[in-house]
Amino acid sequence: MRYNDGIIRWAKIATVMFIAMVVVADIFGIIITRYIAYCWAEVFDMLRVVILTVVFYIGTVGGYFILISLFKLLSNMSKDVVFDRKNTKLMAVITGALVGIAVDCVIGGFIWNGSWILAILALFMGLIVLSVKVVFDKAITMKEEMDLTI
Amino acid sequence: MIVVNLDVMMAKRKISSGELAAKVGITQANLSILKNQKAKAVRFSTLNDICKALDCQPGDILEFRED
Repeated sequence: MRYNDGIIRWAKIATVMFIAMVVVADIFGIIITRYIAYCWAEVFDMLRVVILTVVFYIGTVGGYFILISLFKLLSNMSKDVVFDRKNTKLMAVITGALVGIAVDCVIGGFIWNGSWILAILALFMGLIVLSVKVVFDKAITMKEEMDLTI
Repeated sequence: MIVVNLDVMMAKRKISSGELAAKVGITQANLSILKNQKAKAVRFSTLNDICKALDCQPGDILEFRED
């Protein structure tokens, strides 16, 4: 189990680093969205820049949900709480947040085309997390049945 | 549904939960799960040991009832 503990510890550190990155992105959000709007999307009217900024900030809210849920999930794993309904709920939160981000990115896609790619990536990741959640749900049901087999 | 009539059989044989659990080789907690209809499955080996301890047939312990 020591090998897995190391992976979990590094994954938690990486998650914290990603949270810090999202915080930094939030602080410089206006600069980032303006850079995207002016340099990448070549959009110069204020309304569309504001919409892109709102889309960006909604996306980062989703990012917080994902990263905090991931951190809780990893903490549960490090406490040997693996096949537990708490974890599948966290996976459901991650899936929901990813779908939310995908919808958010679709809105952003009407202003900047690169946002479509992010939407597809978010949906794909959501699909993977959902699949893992289904596997965990099945495993928990099997474990419960095993526990109640006398 | 399948109903476990273990407590009826235990009363007939005048045997306590602790005594039966010891004879069958399961914990009292597991015996309680069985008695309270919470069990999802019973191993043949456990059923065999219970029948042996209570000197009865599986049908004396398990009963099918319409939901």
